[in-house]
Amino acid sequence: MNGREELVLRCAQRRREKIGTLSDEGFAELCLAVRENPTAFVDSPEQASFATLVGALDAFHRAGADDDLLDDDEFRAARERRLQALSAGCAQALSQDDGCLDAQLVQTLAAELNPDDRLDALLQIEAKADAATELSLGATGDAWDDVFMRPQLRLWDAIARTCLDGGRYRMALEVSQGLMAASPADRVGGRLTAALALARLEDEEGFNELDARLSGRENSWLNLGRTILLYKLGRMSAARRALRGYGELCEGAAYALLRPTFVEIYLPDRPEVPAGGFEEATFAVHEAEPIIADVPDFIGWADGFPWFHAAGESYAEANGYDW
Amino acid sequence: MAYDPRREDYQRLALRYAQSLPKGDPVAAAKAFTDFGRRFARDRDTLPQSDADRAFHLVAVAAEVIDYQLPFSSEAKADALIARGRDLLDEAVSLDPTCHDAIRMRASRTNPSFDAQFAFLKEGVGEVYASCQAARAAVPDDGDDERVALGRDIAMRPYRRWMAALAEEALICGRNRSSIETGERLLEQDPSDQADVRFTLALAYAKLEDQTSLDALAKRYGAIVPPRAADDAWIELARLALAHKSHDMSLARQLLERLANTYEGCASALISQTELPDGVFARLAVPPYSEDELILAVSEATVLLQEGDDKSGRGVLGSWIARTTAKLYPEALAEAQELSNPYYQREAKGHQGGDAS
Repeated sequence: MNGREELVLRCAQRRREKIGTLSDEGFAELCLAVRENPTAFVDSPEQASFATLVGALDAFHRAGADDDLLDDDEFRAARERRLQALSAGCAQALSQDDGCLDAQLVQTLAAELNPDDRLDALLQIEAKADAATELSLGATGDAWDDVFMRPQLRLWDAIARTCLDGGRYRMALEVSQGLMAASPADRVGGRLTAALALARLEDEEGFNELDARLSGRENSWLNLGRTILLYKLGRMSAARRALRGYGELCEGAAYALLRPTFVEIYLPDRPEVPAGGFEEATFAVHEAEPIIADVPDFIGWADGFPWFHAAGESYAEANGYDW
Repeated sequence: MAYDPRREDYQRLALRYAQSLPKGDPVAAAKAFTDFGRRFARDRDTLPQSDADRAFHLVAVAAEVIDYQLPFSSEAKADALIARGRDLLDEAVSLDPTCHDAIRMRASRTNPSFDAQFAFLKEGVGEVYASCQAARAAVPDDGDDERVALGRDIAMRPYRRWMAALAEEALICGRNRSSIETGERLLEQDPSDQADVRFTLALAYAKLEDQTSLDALAKRYGAIVPPRAADDAWIELARLALAHKSHDMSLARQLLERLANTYEGCASALISQTELPDGVFARLAVPPYSEDELILAVSEATVLLQEGDDKSGRGVLGSWIARTTAKLYPEALAEAQELSNPYYQREAKGHQGGDAS
């Protein structure tokens, strides 16, 4: 979530509504002005609350920038403090506007509940939000284009991923499909959760449909999902090819799969990362972890291909990582 | 009814003995049969038998050693039992190279991974089927319908056990469609479901969150011999998992209570969730609705219980079941704690003793 940019869009949008009619050109100029000094345009509890949340999220990430240097125990303690501060920031945002969906979402995620309790909490937020606002797809047919609809999309994304973490694959699929219907451009990434759920449910037809819809836009989730799906279906030579596809798409993909590392919880959504980079593979593997654990010999199978093993090892060497 | 190796060993020899008796003299036959029981127990080798019968006897002994003694033995004795099991199976295969039970059991001890065993079993299906069919066709027709039927049935059992093992192995490997395909084929070939493969099927349908097929499976319980209602721990755990997966928590709670009532007084098994090694001969033969049966079902349902991202290490459903059971049945929690981790238990008692002195 690009909080700064969304704050600008929100303020500009509300200002436009006040002005009445404004040309697209005029709106672009207004956005520039807001970007210069967003605080000057925060004129309602709604925007103040959102600004507080954005500030708290920035502080959370800034404070953690050097945490890599700490040892495990220190890291855990520092992270715990940062999460508490973030949660306090959310509480402050909610005191300004208790309807701030993103603050409710981030606060729930930061509590690191188990998947059952997290799902309960998120569904409660959703039920309240549902009563408060009606989702509209707007003029473009994509809810994402209305900046005030984005929190709702992020909430659904978090629900879908929580379902995946909780072993609720059909529900994860249904929620992600709803998300994709509300936002066909799918900036939030419902298709990624859907791909993993379909792989776990061994639903080849559904997976191929999703694949066709994305018309060749490959990514780590899709490639890893396809590899797992084919492996589960026992089509081993196709699975081997899919593994190769996964390994070649992203830098360090083999390393990411064979040596999974800690990934911070998404606050509130999947961080945007450059396509084809190491982080993409890391996120995909992290999200697929429960599914990979369900195929006990999968990692051993992948590691058994000398080219895949070597790719992981050479990435580790080139970057000074342990192997 | 699960497969009982000792009973099958007895049936095989009894059948052969009956076939060897002079026909048309019921009094002599009855007398001879009292003789059979004594000789089976004490002087087995004097009874008429084929190499296949001898091999199966070794399989039955190996099953006893590996499935029924090993899991409960001390570590010190374990190696000896493993070696004995291996020797018995080796000898069985040398006596009868088509002793598929021994071949399958031996492979499960030597294959290095679940996947390797899965591939081995899958590869062998066609051959085992053909071989068992040939043995079935070779059963002599002595005019006694019941005996012929039993002989033919016994001939097919190694194939059914092979298929049931394949379905189970596929489930463990996360290849649920393959598990279902195998299980359905076996159930179609034997609707009476001697192998209890429907238990594995119930778990596999839950894995794929396929409520419709699970409901359809419950309807086919009508053909099971001996009759049994669709309320065994496997299908109930599958239903419970589906309720949990669709986030119908009140239904999940109801189903958990129903399961605990069906297996009355055994709720601690739902908290302990002990993982047992799968029987290498077949699923262990335990009495229906016993605590042992619940323990077995919970162990096999590990694939459902241990799913998801759960910090306790039990899995999301496993944690929920343990938590909810403990709340509903505090006495079961106490019992589970008593049984688990005897080391800490002892330490706690030691401290109390220390305080008193």
